Amino acid sequence: MSSAVESQVLNAFPLDLSQDRYAEVPYEEKARLFEEVKTDIRYHDVLYGCYECGICVAACPSARFYDFSPRVIAQACAREDVELVYTLMNDSIWDCSQCFSCDRCPRGNSPGGLITILREVAVRNGLQSARDALEGYGRIIYKIMSTGTQVSPDMLQPDAFPDWGTHVHEIAENLEVWRRALPPETLHTTDIGWDVDEKTMIELYLIWHMTGVMDMIKEVDEGLFMILQDVMEERLEDAGYDDVTFD
Amino acid sequence: MPSQDILVIGGGPAGLEAARSIADLGYRAILVEKRDRLGGTPDEAGYAALTPDLRNAEEAMNEMIARVQNNPNVELHLGATVVDAKGQAPDFTVTIKNAKESKQVNVGAVIICTGFQHFDPGRETQKYGYYEFPDVITLVDCEKMLKAHRVVRPSTGEPPERVCFIQCVGSRDRRIGNEYCSKVCCGIASKEAIEIKQQLPNAKVFIFYIDMRMYGYWENEIYWPAQEKYKVNYVKGIATEILQRDGKLLVRGEDTTMRRPFEIPMDLVVLSVGMEPSAGTREMAKIFGLKQNKYKFIETIGGALDTVSTTVPGVFAAGACTGPADLEDSISAAGLAAVKAISTVRQAETVKA
Repeated sequence: MSSAVESQVLNAFPLDLSQDRYAEVPYEEKARLFEEVKTDIRYHDVLYGCYECGICVAACPSARFYDFSPRVIAQACAREDVELVYTLMNDSIWDCSQCFSCDRCPRGNSPGGLITILREVAVRNGLQSARDALEGYGRIIYKIMSTGTQVSPDMLQPDAFPDWGTHVHEIAENLEVWRRALPPETLHTTDIGWDVDEKTMIELYLIWHMTGVMDMIKEVDEGLFMILQDVMEERLEDAGYDDVTFD
Repeated sequence: MPSQDILVIGGGPAGLEAARSIADLGYRAILVEKRDRLGGTPDEAGYAALTPDLRNAEEAMNEMIARVQNNPNVELHLGATVVDAKGQAPDFTVTIKNAKESKQVNVGAVIICTGFQHFDPGRETQKYGYYEFPDVITLVDCEKMLKAHRVVRPSTGEPPERVCFIQCVGSRDRRIGNEYCSKVCCGIASKEAIEIKQQLPNAKVFIFYIDMRMYGYWENEIYWPAQEKYKVNYVKGIATEILQRDGKLLVRGEDTTMRRPFEIPMDLVVLSVGMEPSAGTREMAKIFGLKQNKYKFIETIGGALDTVSTTVPGVFAAGACTGPADLEDSISAAGLAAVKAISTVRQAETVKA
């Protein structure tokens, strides 16, 4: 064994860039989706050209854990490789944690920002990859969108997040008591993280309505959409917005 | 007897600039050009636009030619070659020969600007089928088509839908013997790619490369616009061979950064041929007894600090006869050679006085 410092090869398994998996999808459909990406108003601010230098991958935390390369995504888009972009939209783009460490690109690209656009197009068009990727987040999306806050204490259930550990069961059983033991009164709740003002909540609903977020939810998760629709329409009606519907 | 006249050999960009500089400084230049007209390789090869600013090549060369053509301080010998040289600085006796006669001139210093020739892609890399497939052309062939505003597949006369450039043809190759980088081909290929996209906006253009060497401002003046504005596809990986299939050229190589081999059909393949010393450069090295490097370019002896002095005092070399050079290099070196040649003849005059 040599005493020299050994370099560690991260991710010895290369990305699967073969396009055979989506051979049945017509080229025109793939081209249409890429066109939707390219016509996004942000596109020219997040992608100039790619040197293929790899600085984005070097900076990327996800690339250390997944077969994920922001470079390949930027490169595929810069080369306007319609087939490869489609392949990546169906897999790779969901491995990004959107931390934007890749923004150090010397060409001024933002691979993370590019991925944001790719994801939005995938969601808007109901790609299976988008459904799969968002499946596990249904509860979180429901919480955020109905209450205006993120993870709430009552989500601390042994069956929901097994990786939170064995003690979760014990905590979940007496959640009310544990919460009341916390000094700030605002944390004495179990179904929301903290209180969100009624006016703020109504504004959030209206924003999601007007910006098409609800349409995106409908595209990927019809069930979740219907639950949110009930909650939102009722509360909006109480606030005097009886003409706002999500259909 | 010692002379203050300076002989400039070669009427290309370097020779024109050397002669002009000598004349501007009040000395007399004797300019010898083997062709019947001035302008050198840019004129002879029919360049369309210069790198990196895409300035019209003919217009730029005409401007350079006009400065020496009717210049009272420049004695022109067109259709003539140097066939013999005797003596030493500042007293050379040089024989100039044209179709009709031989003439001897007495000069104090000599500047050689005999340039380069394009690598012949059929010589060693016949895997690219330059002499076999009509749609495999060189950067030079492409310049001619761009100049004529008629970029077509020679086999059909139709505009190509897919074009690729293959870099480093005849350069950076130990097997061929040209181990050096020809320095300009990355810029010229990118420039031609831009021009192709300007003339044929719907064409797909690829550049297969080993390294893109776009030094200095070429980076943002050619490389970035080619990639960002004109969507030229740069793929790191060199084609190993070209085959013909179904009336198309099949280019085989590896897309190294994507880690996959490729076989891409192309309508037109442009070989980015590098530089080799011209026949004139080899000949002048022999006549003046100048040391040549292993690639037969004229060797300069001052390293980075003197790019024009040769192994023979009073004989200078400028431009691509000393190695791969772009226009900026050639013009800069020519000005320096003019200054050094003048200082040679002036020093001789001072010593005599």
